[in-house]
Amino acid sequence: MTPRKIIPAAAALMLSTTVLSAQDAIRIASPNKVTVLDPIVSAAGGNIEAYGQLYARLLRRGADGALEPGLAESWEISEDGLTYTFEMRDAKFSDGSPITAEDAAFSLTRVAKDEASAYPAGFAPIKEVTAVDEDTLQITLEHPSAPMLSNLEIFNAGIVSKDDVDARGVEGAFASDPVTSGPYMVEDWKPNDRITLTANPNFWREGLPKIQKVELIEVSDDNARATMAMAGEIDVNRSVPWAQVEEVNATEGVSVALEPSTVMYLVLPNHDKAPFDDLNVRKAAAMALDRAAITEAVTRGNAEVANSTFSNALNYHDASLQPPAYDPAAARKLLEDNGLTGTEINMMITPSFEQLATLLKAQWDAVGFKTTVERVDAGLWWSKLAEGDYQVTVNWYYNETEDPDLAVRWALCDTCGSDSYYTNYHNEEVNRLTDEALRELDDDKRAELYSRIQQITLDELAQIPLYYAPFSIAYADRVKGLTLTPALQWTLEEAELTAD
Amino acid sequence: MDTLRYIAYRLLQAVPVLLGVSIITFTLMAATPGDPVRLLVGDRASAETIALIRDRYGLDEPVLVQYFTYLKNLLAGDLGASLRYRVPVSQLIAQHYPVTLFLVVYTVVLTLPPVIALAVWSARRQNGPADQVIRLLGVLGLAVPVFWLALLFARFFGVTLGWFPVSGFGDTLPDHFLHLFLPALSTSIWVVPILVRTLRAALLEEMGRDYVLTGQSKGLGDRQIFRSHIFPNSVLPTLNLFAVIVAYLLGGSVIVETVYAVPGMGKLMVDSILARDYFVVQGATLVFALTTIFVMLAVDLLSALIDPRVTP
Repeated sequence: MTPRKIIPAAAALMLSTTVLSAQDAIRIASPNKVTVLDPIVSAAGGNIEAYGQLYARLLRRGADGALEPGLAESWEISEDGLTYTFEMRDAKFSDGSPITAEDAAFSLTRVAKDEASAYPAGFAPIKEVTAVDEDTLQITLEHPSAPMLSNLEIFNAGIVSKDDVDARGVEGAFASDPVTSGPYMVEDWKPNDRITLTANPNFWREGLPKIQKVELIEVSDDNARATMAMAGEIDVNRSVPWAQVEEVNATEGVSVALEPSTVMYLVLPNHDKAPFDDLNVRKAAAMALDRAAITEAVTRGNAEVANSTFSNALNYHDASLQPPAYDPAAARKLLEDNGLTGTEINMMITPSFEQLATLLKAQWDAVGFKTTVERVDAGLWWSKLAEGDYQVTVNWYYNETEDPDLAVRWALCDTCGSDSYYTNYHNEEVNRLTDEALRELDDDKRAELYSRIQQITLDELAQIPLYYAPFSIAYADRVKGLTLTPALQWTLEEAELTAD
Repeated sequence: MDTLRYIAYRLLQAVPVLLGVSIITFTLMAATPGDPVRLLVGDRASAETIALIRDRYGLDEPVLVQYFTYLKNLLAGDLGASLRYRVPVSQLIAQHYPVTLFLVVYTVVLTLPPVIALAVWSARRQNGPADQVIRLLGVLGLAVPVFWLALLFARFFGVTLGWFPVSGFGDTLPDHFLHLFLPALSTSIWVVPILVRTLRAALLEEMGRDYVLTGQSKGLGDRQIFRSHIFPNSVLPTLNLFAVIVAYLLGGSVIVETVYAVPGMGKLMVDSILARDYFVVQGATLVFALTTIFVMLAVDLLSALIDPRVTP
């Protein structure tokens, strides 16, 4: 064999062995990293995706998105909507010990009441969680909460082992090999690189998961992930930039799926600071934007122009509403009439919004604003945002469930903990309606309340909605039945790998 | 014995250097705006949770107090724990450092033979067609950005031809060689021209010296003069430059490690800076500094070995 042939031959040999041994393993590359295995301490993307594989919840979502029994076999809700009683199924943790109502009570109390709980918003109405007996769990609420059941399905409501946490302490139990209740358990974790999961032999759904091993690989560079997908070194690319969708689709054996999400992109004005504390400025800024053209340009037509302050994937999204239409002449006149022409705007962005910022600046400047763009990294962005130290910025957010309660709490209500997504938007009526809608159990009445919230926040331009973006995920052809749900959960437990 | 004393002296010198590095890194990180806790717990976390974690990690103490706590732990051999991963920094470094070290050594191994061959060839046929071509290629190699070259290599050798993996580090030794080939090659292509130029210039300078003429007049063969006199005398300046480049490669590993998704120190460093993972950045910087000190020391010792006039 000549040297020219040895290299490819050796390479082919080694590659073929990797491919053979990888038949039972799925490799998912994502820009989001797994940083911590305790389900209550982080609400960051990569962790949420991993929690879903490690910890099962009382309820789960079926393929159609409907709530189904999970670790709870059945449940009853009292007339007044204040007491939830769950019958636990006969299930086991990964270490073989039984999952009891006591474990569930322990886990849910942690997420609702522990001061280290990063995202307790959905569980705020909970007064107490108690184990009535081995199999019966009771949750009592301070007041009725319409989305309580669906909140019990979100990522941080995963059931963990009380005995294990008692034995090893919180730090020890979640350090690197937690006892899990979900379809997978940790085989090996290399922080800042990858986490390898292996099927939990005691998972309550018999015969599942079908894929033995899952590698969640953290690759921050978009190009590197694209190359890996095209070279067949990964099976799933969690996030394909819009500009690469066509290229990936043109590659044999890989295709991009656009999956429904609750992700919406929006302009966040700071209502506490000039000039965006002035409704005229917000209106002019909204009218200056050709949002359809922006959506087309940024997402190559893969997203839908947003019409409301709600994601269109949420219940009670009101499709009949519209923010001020694109009208640069009217925007210019509005500025002139109010002596606002030449108003200086400082737009703070992170590097991923460079393209969007260029478009926004051009359109704002065209109607008489003077926009400067301030580039900061994610760390500084969050600090400045939370401190209200900015004039206007752009970002996105998603909602954990199809119920709008958490989204409204996060983005539109200023007394709910996050100052209306740190825009300091304040409207008493919105705050009141948020609370009312949470406690209202009648569907039609809730629809009305949420419609009203959308109307008010759109009139006052609490935020300027841009577009509703689907997840763009590249899958190798051999992956069957895998999707990322709007709640950022991989449906890995039912997914399969077929032979090439 | 003298050499040993010299080594001990140099290592002693490293202590204030490392202390200086740690002070500068700590001050810079503390002065960088941005909150590690927010990045740690996710955007939905409440102000109370953030305050609690700041307190738990001692992040609300004055910077000076934080530094002395850090220094005290450092002297006890404890690099601290990562804010993000809650694992010891030493564990993260132990996981990432060998990868980068492998990559740097691999790059060096791929770099040296062509540097020597091309420089010698080019110098012995000065201004000939081969020399011209080598110089032109050198300019090209220097001008092409490493990340772009790396991207092209990944697409061509990895995707189109399928000869080499385009990511990761692999599990076994042959696997490591295979996985890091393209990253090492991309870096090497940028380093080779620099060293060829230096070595070629040094060779030409030495070739014009009087001792060459003396040797020739005494009937020594050209080959022998070149091997035992010109070449060893020319290597020293290149060797020193080489040490600087190795130190630079450690830091520069960021680029190729990103393009090829190699889980090494460069990636750890960048990710930790972006996440304001103070203790990891601090620990990684110290390791980089220490490595540089060792490489410099090794080059100085090697120089003394090659040239008796250089005393360690």
